[in-house]
Amino acid sequence: MKTLRYFAIFSLGLLFLTGAAAKPSRPLIIAVSTEPSTLDGQAVIDRNSRVASGNIFESLLDRGANGQVITWLAESYKPVNDTTWRFRLRKNIKFHNGEPFNAEAAAFSVNRIVDKEYKTQRASYIENIKGAKAVDEFTVDVTTDGTNAVLPVQMTQLVMVPPKAAREKNFGVSPVGTGAYKFVRWDRGREITLAVNEGYWREKPAIKEFAVRIIPDPQTQIAALQTGEIDLVLDLLPEQAKLAPKFISVPATEFSYIQFNAHKKEMADPRVRIALNLAVDKETLAKTIYQNHARPMDAQHLAKGMLGYNPNLKPFPYDPKRARQLLKEAGYPDGFELVLHAPIGRYLKGEETSEVVAAQLKEVGVRVKLQLHEWNAYRKLGRIPGKEANAFDLKYGWNSNEWFDASRIVSHITCDGTSSKLCNKKVDELMDKAIQTLDQKARDKLYQEVWVILNKDPHAIYLLQQNLIYGLAKRVEWQPRLDDEVRVAAMRATE
Amino acid sequence: MNHPSLLAFVLARLRDGLVVLFLVTLVIFVLGHVIGDPAVVMAPVDASEQEIARLRRQLGLDRPFREQFVGYFVSLARGDFGQSLWQDRPALTVVLEALPATVVLTLVGLVLAGLGGSLLGVLAGARPESPLDRSANFLSVAALSVPNFWLGLLLIVIFSVQLGVLPTSGFANWQSLILPAGALGAIHGARIFQLVRSATFEEMTKPYALVARSKGLPERLILWKHILRNIAVTMLTTIGWEYVRMMGGAAFAIEVVFAWPGIGQLMIHAASRQDFPVLQAAVIVAGAFVIMTNALVDLLYRSLDARIRAA
Repeated sequence: MKTLRYFAIFSLGLLFLTGAAAKPSRPLIIAVSTEPSTLDGQAVIDRNSRVASGNIFESLLDRGANGQVITWLAESYKPVNDTTWRFRLRKNIKFHNGEPFNAEAAAFSVNRIVDKEYKTQRASYIENIKGAKAVDEFTVDVTTDGTNAVLPVQMTQLVMVPPKAAREKNFGVSPVGTGAYKFVRWDRGREITLAVNEGYWREKPAIKEFAVRIIPDPQTQIAALQTGEIDLVLDLLPEQAKLAPKFISVPATEFSYIQFNAHKKEMADPRVRIALNLAVDKETLAKTIYQNHARPMDAQHLAKGMLGYNPNLKPFPYDPKRARQLLKEAGYPDGFELVLHAPIGRYLKGEETSEVVAAQLKEVGVRVKLQLHEWNAYRKLGRIPGKEANAFDLKYGWNSNEWFDASRIVSHITCDGTSSKLCNKKVDELMDKAIQTLDQKARDKLYQEVWVILNKDPHAIYLLQQNLIYGLAKRVEWQPRLDDEVRVAAMRATE
Repeated sequence: MNHPSLLAFVLARLRDGLVVLFLVTLVIFVLGHVIGDPAVVMAPVDASEQEIARLRRQLGLDRPFREQFVGYFVSLARGDFGQSLWQDRPALTVVLEALPATVVLTLVGLVLAGLGGSLLGVLAGARPESPLDRSANFLSVAALSVPNFWLGLLLIVIFSVQLGVLPTSGFANWQSLILPAGALGAIHGARIFQLVRSATFEEMTKPYALVARSKGLPERLILWKHILRNIAVTMLTTIGWEYVRMMGGAAFAIEVVFAWPGIGQLMIHAASRQDFPVLQAAVIVAGAFVIMTNALVDLLYRSLDARIRAA
């Protein structure tokens, strides 16, 4: 009898609690795993910060659906000489605080971020930019240090800030931009709230308000998505995808590879490096470890649509027999020993992938020992300068090409590149020439040629183009972009 | 027999506490400054040697160790824990902002653990091998055997995803406190249960309990009047100790699982951003909390047990 009474009380209690699950209509909520350090769009580059700042700020140029560079706050742009690019700005655009967006603001924005005193994580985005000057009210000239063919790419990420507000010390915690959403509130450790910019210069977004909520644990994120507490989770694990009410898997700008130390005696012969490429079954890696949320890359750290992509190149086939034969021809009928280095917990399933590759290389006679490192130690390993053979044998990593441009990989393949362990004079020559070539079509051709060489003289085992997996609530409609920006203006939510 | 006054007692405890806090700070400082180079850890990953050298100068790491330590201590005494590298605000402010959430969570967790663990412990210890004893024992062993974060996830899956009665995470309303506090209560209540249970069991077989029973006193009276009084010190020690354990880590793991914006979550973010000043401040503040808890428990002893008053 007593037990029954307790049970009745308990279940009543549960019913009472059920109120928590009944949600009134609420803003769209996006989960991130770490709290941003600042919302100053010029200071940070990490994804968790950009989910908020990327909706507040805009740049002169942007990327279209296929990743191509398009005009945005600028109406048009062109190089006027080898070291100057001229941008014509759109008129009648205001920052959230009412400051006008004009050439003065644009020049201020460029000069602010290139200032040596200014601390930014976006160093590679301002490399070789000297400064900017207003020509008239809506024309601005950006000058470069030498010929800089990737300036348009850099300008897609150089966000515009209002001169008055950006001089204030609290700009990082109350950011002001021209974007579709304006900053409302930052509850430390919890969430950041943004509301639609009523005076937005483009079509008004469908979603009026959204919040970026901090949920550190990926398991908790997916649970919150399942219960409908949140609407969007970035970077699901492959095995989590099916747990989400809805998921979208997008080929990302991330390419995984195993870098060779071509200065090492055993790997000096390109035939050996081709053999190692043939010894790895990329298809199976993509299918098993990544459950098809990845695909073999086309033997180049680029995908279709990116500048420099060579459509004639295909992944090296899986052919262990031919690999063994090539090793024999190169003088290693009994194989040799190598160490493969990989970081712990840095790349999605990096450890597992490295293990499988090590096992497959063993199949053709190359006895590979896998060594895992903590991230800082791993980085140091890759940075041993010069052409010494003792740096590392093989190194697993991901190359991120968020520039959609072959120039991004220069430090990995040139003789003096900071992360390079390959020296091919022809590659150096072509890369040098390309960065000086302002004609983008001609530049594209030059990089295509580089990749042909890098297939005959590979700098790496070309593995996979990785996907980004987004988990969505049923009510959310969204087609993610090819870069990893999360633009809420492009989303819709029923109810 | 001399009876030290209450004031003298409190002062002595305070003095001990400060000594311990000093030692904690010393350890943190040595860990941070001698083992590993903070400048390398704090610098952006692609920083050059010159940038690291400049940072080392800025942080004063090029000065002799003793000078650095004294400098650090002098500023600590002034309440200056340094500037958060990540948020660019005073580190202490950042930590104190996160503290209330942790205090609320751990206190509610402790009340649940203390009440649940003690009550079930006394009942189970009084009737060994009864169904209640067996099932409570089973549950407590289960709760102690799984990792903290896993228990948290299990609760989320059961109560949020399957039953849909509680939010998974966050800090929105009182409902969002139930799961994290419940998880903490279960983890720490389980250990309290074990100790209280065995203490009760032991007391039940002592001569005074037998005498009381043979005099015909009702079992209920023996248990709640005589035995409870004798195990009160054990209970209190255990509960105090469990609070220390909570503040020493368990609560932090639970905070991360439930996205609870307290010190634990702050420390995870600070660590991923290499924010040394915030980490140091958080450890010192948590350490101070632990010391205060211990002092409080000692104080309560005094009023509970005359033998300690004399010691």
